[in-house]
Amino acid sequence: MKANSLLKGLVGAAFLFGAAVSAHAADTLASVKAAGTLKVGTETAFAPFDYIDAGEHTGLNVDLFAEIGEELGVKIEWVALPWDGVFPALEAGKFDVVAGPATITKKRMERYRFTPPIAEATIAILKKAGDTTISKPEDIAGKTIGVGKATAQLDQLKEFSDTLPTKVDVREYPAFTETYADLAAGRIAGVANSLPNIAFVASQRKGTFEVVLPPFGKKSYFGFIGLKDADHAPLMDAIDAAMLKIKADGRMAELQKKWFGASFDTPDAVKDPAF
Amino acid sequence: MSTKLFELLLQASIYTVTISMVSILIGFAIAIIVSAMLLSRQRLFVLPGQIFISFFRGVPLLVQLLLIYNLLPVIGINVPSIVAAIVGLSLCTAAYQAENLRGGFASVPSGLVESAEMVGLTPIQIFRRIKAPIALRLTFPALVNEAILILKASSLVSVVGIVELTRMAQDLAGSTFLPLEIFASAGLIYLAINWIVALAGGLIERSLPGVPR
Amino acid sequence: MTFDINVIFSHLPEIASGACVTIVIWIVAALAAAVLGFLVAVARRFGGVILDRVFGIVIAVLRGTPFLIQIFLVYYGGPFVGLSLDPIPAGVVGLSIYGAAYFSEIFRSGFAAVPKGHIEAGLCVGLTHTQIVRRILLPEMTMLVLPPSLNMTIILMKETAVLSIITVPELTATLSAIGSQQYAFVEALFVLALFYWGLVEITGWLGRLAETKLTRFRFFHI
Repeated sequence: MKANSLLKGLVGAAFLFGAAVSAHAADTLASVKAAGTLKVGTETAFAPFDYIDAGEHTGLNVDLFAEIGEELGVKIEWVALPWDGVFPALEAGKFDVVAGPATITKKRMERYRFTPPIAEATIAILKKAGDTTISKPEDIAGKTIGVGKATAQLDQLKEFSDTLPTKVDVREYPAFTETYADLAAGRIAGVANSLPNIAFVASQRKGTFEVVLPPFGKKSYFGFIGLKDADHAPLMDAIDAAMLKIKADGRMAELQKKWFGASFDTPDAVKDPAF
Repeated sequence: MSTKLFELLLQASIYTVTISMVSILIGFAIAIIVSAMLLSRQRLFVLPGQIFISFFRGVPLLVQLLLIYNLLPVIGINVPSIVAAIVGLSLCTAAYQAENLRGGFASVPSGLVESAEMVGLTPIQIFRRIKAPIALRLTFPALVNEAILILKASSLVSVVGIVELTRMAQDLAGSTFLPLEIFASAGLIYLAINWIVALAGGLIERSLPGVPR
Repeated sequence: MTFDINVIFSHLPEIASGACVTIVIWIVAALAAAVLGFLVAVARRFGGVILDRVFGIVIAVLRGTPFLIQIFLVYYGGPFVGLSLDPIPAGVVGLSIYGAAYFSEIFRSGFAAVPKGHIEAGLCVGLTHTQIVRRILLPEMTMLVLPPSLNMTIILMKETAVLSIITVPELTATLSAIGSQQYAFVEALFVLALFYWGLVEITGWLGRLAETKLTRFRFFHI
């Protein structure tokens, strides 16, 4: 009997101790700081935010996270996945935050938490230079347009297509990088992506691509994504604070100018996305 | 195509080779256990062994990798990319290797086993001195074949975040708009690696003790 | 984590379409690969040394490189040599060529296993090469090549999943898209695995049935 109650006591103590330890470890900010590394998930196929340039991982995300890492006092570790695998992996805890960036949408806000926006994300069409059949967004009716899988751009394109007399033939790619390749090869008539992205690609390949203005999407913004639960709140709060500080002292505008040629006037937080 | 790009491909192929080799070895270890389960007399062991083989040969590797990476966390097992890649490849190759081993053990001439029993060797001795060496010798070519298959299958582990040869080729092709040169180069590297493995396998096979008739 | 299987069922039409694409591509490519592989094997055996060597090199390349690399070459590299294929045709072409390389090796060992004496007897009696293939090689080979052919057919079915990477709207692509959109990744992967597993088991079972039915073509014990 005595041994029995002693055993029960030990087990109980173990439980309490375990609970205390795990409650402490569940605070993601604390574990990130303890490890000294912030794990960031991304797709590395979304120029100019995040892409591979001749073997080097580069882009606005890389620069911006380097600044965030400095503010938080941690190193950044990147995990590259196909875009449609990024959110499942975030939920599975493979990394602490997702770079992307991702368009801030109502549907996503129900499930995830966004940082302060880093750029505008309004969608426009990229076409092959010299293609006179497309001079305004509505001209894509009945044509084949490429877009990335599992993206907000895909949803927006489908919505826009529904308003046109002939539907758009939407082709979903694993990533936008391949859409540009196919556009250059003439397999598709255009790519639907956010304006900063296609403006960058067009400027990198002058003479191959042209941007079709005006953008046809609803006004939207890009942000980084994290989980909404209480464990991640301290981490996301810290990242938000770091980003607002980077914005306030002008580093954000500098980076935007570096990658987009101009800075964006973004709100400090998006509470009510347009879609 | 510049040498810098080729160098990058070669560096990425180090991941390909390392992950593949580790997976083959771990897969072999698992295969021995599974084939033992298949050959055992207990119903309790045979069925799970058969289910294991059926599942890992029946589901595409791509789906297996996604399952291990995304589904396991749901039941509490969270693994980093490299572990998911190795576990996925190991389990897949284990299923095929287990089948090979089973065939190998079945091909051990029964006359040898019977005479060993008559001479008075214990089951364990028979296993160690007769069955195992002969089975391994018989299945060695299939093992080399598996190695080559896994090296090629490793091209899929980018879906769990490893930047191996194929993923590197994709990234480079995307940024340089030179798919032909880049993918052809990647193909050549795979060919070279597989050729070396086949060559090494042939050499090792020749040095293995022969199978008594 | 909740497991809501209804999310999957509410998208059945899309899933059915994806499954159809998978199955159609698989059957077309498997048949094309078998036919092509057979022709190549015949060409290698009866077409002279040069043809044999050239095909030998091509087959070694196709068997020595990952399918994904081959399909990238066909799909992304194609336009640069004038071959601009849509995803589904590219998938069928890529899978057929890949399969043909393996089938030709299967048939080649099948040919080699037929006793030379039978062929010599046929030549003595005055049969043409075509007649020898039709009346001697094929019937005797059938039993030998059936198991590896069945195996290869199953392998080709599993490789169709890789085609999702070049945007072919087959089952893996369809289910992962649904999984991402509905945030039901777990359910989608689960259904995906079950589907392939089931299909492979059924095919294997049908194959073994065919093997037992065709036993009468055996001329000698293996």
